Amino acid sequence: MKIKNVVLALALGFLFTACNKEDDDAMAPMGTYDNGILVSNEGPFSNGTGTVSFISEDLTTIENSIFNAVNNADLGNVVQSMGFTDEYAYIVANVSNTLTIVDRYSFESQAIISQGLNNPRYFLYANGKGYVTNWGDPNDVTDDFVAIINLETNSVSGTIPVDFGPEKIIVHDNNIYVAHQGGYGQNNSISVIDSQTNEVVTTILVADVPNSMQVDSNGNLWVLCGGKPSYTQDETAGALLKINTGSNIVEKTLAFDTTEHPNFLELDGSKLYYFLNGGIYSLDTSDTGLPSQSDMQDLNFYTMVVDDGKLYGTDAKDFASNGSLIIYDLDSKEQLGTFNVGIIPGGIYFN
Amino acid sequence: MKTSLLSLLVFYGVHSAMAQQDPIIELKEVIVSDSRLERFSNGVKVDTLKDSVLQRTDGSLTKTLLFNSNIYFKENGYGMVSSPSFRGTGASQTAVIWNGINVNSQLNGQVDFNTILPQSVDKISVRSGGGSTQYGTGAVGGSIHLENTLDFNSEWKNRLQLGYGSFSTRNLTYKTKVGTEKTALGLGIGHIASDNDYKYLGTSNKNENGSFSNSSFDMNFGVLLSSSHLLKLYHTTFLGDRDLSGTLTAPSNSNYQDINSRSLFEWVNFKNNKVQRVKAAYLYERYKFFQNKDSDQFTYGKAESFIVNYDLKYEFKNAAINGILDFNTIKGQGTSIQQANRNLFATTILFTHNPAKSLNYGINLRKDWVNDYVSPFVFAIDGKYDVSSTYAITINTSKNFRIPTFNDLYWEGSASGNSDLKPETSVQGELGQIYAKKGFSTQLHLFYISSKDLIQWLPDNSGIWSPVNVQSVYQYGLESRIALKHKFDNDNNIESQISYAFTRAIEKESSKQLIYVPKHKVTHSLAYHYRKWGVVWQSLFNGKVYTTSDNLQELEGYFLANCLLEYDMAKILGSSLKTTIRINNLFNTNYQNVAFRPMPNRNIQLQLNFKF
Repeated sequence: MKIKNVVLALALGFLFTACNKEDDDAMAPMGTYDNGILVSNEGPFSNGTGTVSFISEDLTTIENSIFNAVNNADLGNVVQSMGFTDEYAYIVANVSNTLTIVDRYSFESQAIISQGLNNPRYFLYANGKGYVTNWGDPNDVTDDFVAIINLETNSVSGTIPVDFGPEKIIVHDNNIYVAHQGGYGQNNSISVIDSQTNEVVTTILVADVPNSMQVDSNGNLWVLCGGKPSYTQDETAGALLKINTGSNIVEKTLAFDTTEHPNFLELDGSKLYYFLNGGIYSLDTSDTGLPSQSDMQDLNFYTMVVDDGKLYGTDAKDFASNGSLIIYDLDSKEQLGTFNVGIIPGGIYFN
Repeated sequence: MKTSLLSLLVFYGVHSAMAQQDPIIELKEVIVSDSRLERFSNGVKVDTLKDSVLQRTDGSLTKTLLFNSNIYFKENGYGMVSSPSFRGTGASQTAVIWNGINVNSQLNGQVDFNTILPQSVDKISVRSGGGSTQYGTGAVGGSIHLENTLDFNSEWKNRLQLGYGSFSTRNLTYKTKVGTEKTALGLGIGHIASDNDYKYLGTSNKNENGSFSNSSFDMNFGVLLSSSHLLKLYHTTFLGDRDLSGTLTAPSNSNYQDINSRSLFEWVNFKNNKVQRVKAAYLYERYKFFQNKDSDQFTYGKAESFIVNYDLKYEFKNAAINGILDFNTIKGQGTSIQQANRNLFATTILFTHNPAKSLNYGINLRKDWVNDYVSPFVFAIDGKYDVSSTYAITINTSKNFRIPTFNDLYWEGSASGNSDLKPETSVQGELGQIYAKKGFSTQLHLFYISSKDLIQWLPDNSGIWSPVNVQSVYQYGLESRIALKHKFDNDNNIESQISYAFTRAIEKESSKQLIYVPKHKVTHSLAYHYRKWGVVWQSLFNGKVYTTSDNLQELEGYFLANCLLEYDMAKILGSSLKTTIRINNLFNTNYQNVAFRPMPNRNIQLQLNFKF
């Protein structure tokens, strides 16, 4: 049924391999998919498979469904996200409850973990181990956990029970920070896990719906909270929080208006970026207030990333067809390229 | 197995030519007992399934209609949630009418065709095209009419059907009917259960979490109080308990339990040329969804409808006029719907006229008043002209609607309903030709539907999913059928039917075909009986469907065949026992009608049919 796509992907893959061999750079690429952008595509909601797309760093070539092309297999239903070690990529399939491990540069499949995960969301590499946030039943507020992955045996070696709705996960030194966005409901906390003991050492109360996190060069944790949406009948304001990772105390809270629900906190140098009502806003980590003017407007992103002065955003279109990745220069605001990727592109990574 | 359309047409051509010597109609255009369906749909295509087709069915309504109509079904695995695509429209644009009442879910606007056991009704009719004036919301692509008939003056009749087969599938139907001059009573129970653990062809996996157990109870009762007063009571309850199958890429451990209960009380008064009816109905629906069936956590939704309906009809020499006042009050509640209430008041006028014996036309008008959205004024005009005793032309046009459901308006939780939604509306036209003589009939219908404000769930700027009136689509196509019946002598008879439907369903903005609408569907059946033996062949070809709205991914078409061998074992003192061996998916076709959800491999069912 996807034979057309596979054929196309294979053809593109072949061409790209051929290209790569010609230009012998000083830094030899470590595989077909070195030096470029990876986009994880969720795939259709209720059935089917997610995919991964690769776009070369010079933005000249794109290849879709690279995992299928290399391994002649499907990744699974709703590819939520990817995480990385130096060598491997860990691909989370949310509905399939699997973690597929591939060589991050060749995309050759290494192993699939299909036991011990329940509604997995995000992968983090820390202290020689892998950590995967899991919702369990998204309506159940008591069965949520972080799975500990043994990266030698590629299996779940333990679980850390946590608060409701663990989503994004980030590390600073030995502390792992888990944002509790809240499954099908809403939550308002950050769990701090000691990666040496694998125990929750403290829980930090933040604003409602912490949806994204960054750690700046001074070791501060920035948490962007979306606030409760209006349909909850209990709408609350979004907030940007600065947390001291030494003391795990909130040092600064920048509040939005009640009807403002920001998302996608990004960090590029000392500049923080976020998305609000179709606009991109930025502020410096030293700023004392939120910006009143947006840098760009009239955007509609399913996810976005800022890297090296460039904005990468995805358009999931009607969620039932291939989406696109659009790249902008943040200085000139000009589009640098648009690429047709897979269905519901939800993750952007650099390889 | 993949068969090209060409070889298929050749194959069918041979059969049709062979059977052309003399003929009949498997699905014929008939005058049906539902008074409105009979009286006010002359220029509309209505096909009634034959009793033999109903009795042969061993599964759900999906399976019955799959091989006997042009409707395409999306099934999330065999026995799982099944939604129809009628004339290229969606599941909520197909209305299901139970004894004259629209029973589409108040929560999602649809009917899961695997939650209706066809044995529980006496008559199933497929009415193609728009019918909102008579049947309300969702009658856009067409409507499916389920009717129970009351047999007055009838001796005590019993039918017991027992079946067993592959995947531990077992079914039981018992129906009893008895009638006197003044009363009629019918009772029925139905049960079908299966482990449903069929192989996923071409893989080492099987359908791990697909077992189901469905039961139904039916009762209908009528009493003639006098020559001018009739009381009727209908009731049906369906109980479903299904583990929901996973997909090729995701396992499942979920379970779905639903109850649908419908009760209808009707009083009819006849006086000269005047017929008055008062109907009161109570509909109850509830589902429980267990994401993890080993846990006691579930989500649920339920809705109750109270319906009161007054209907006044005058019959004149060449015409009839019918006015209907309808009041519905509906309550919905669930994990994601706090408390929804709807009051609906509908007024309808139906008019039909025969200016000449060979000519009939009808005009229907309807307007609803509803508290939570503005309902459009709708109409239908139809006409039929009998060019000769064997050839007729039909024409109709109508405006129809599909209302926003409780989920669309009031959903709260992981997404948000939109209280500003308006109903979807569509206008359509149809032109039909019917040729029928003894033992042979053929027909051709052309249709065009244009719909706007179709409701789609999309995320807003802050990523919150919400429904909006956004899509415009149009459908056009043709439906054709040839049916034949021939009795060679008292020992030998043959019946055959072939239908072909061509459907284009196009999203106006992108000009792409809608997903899960096949351009081509062919069905064919052939029944040959020799003395006590019978062989029945059922087959269908579904063309490819697109699975993404950019038409870049698709499911390939497939050919499916079932074969039945029937034997009448005994006929003593008015009782009979018929044995049927049924081979489903004879050629072991590996097929899916929803991507990544394989359907069953070849399987065998044994049926025993007692009539006494």
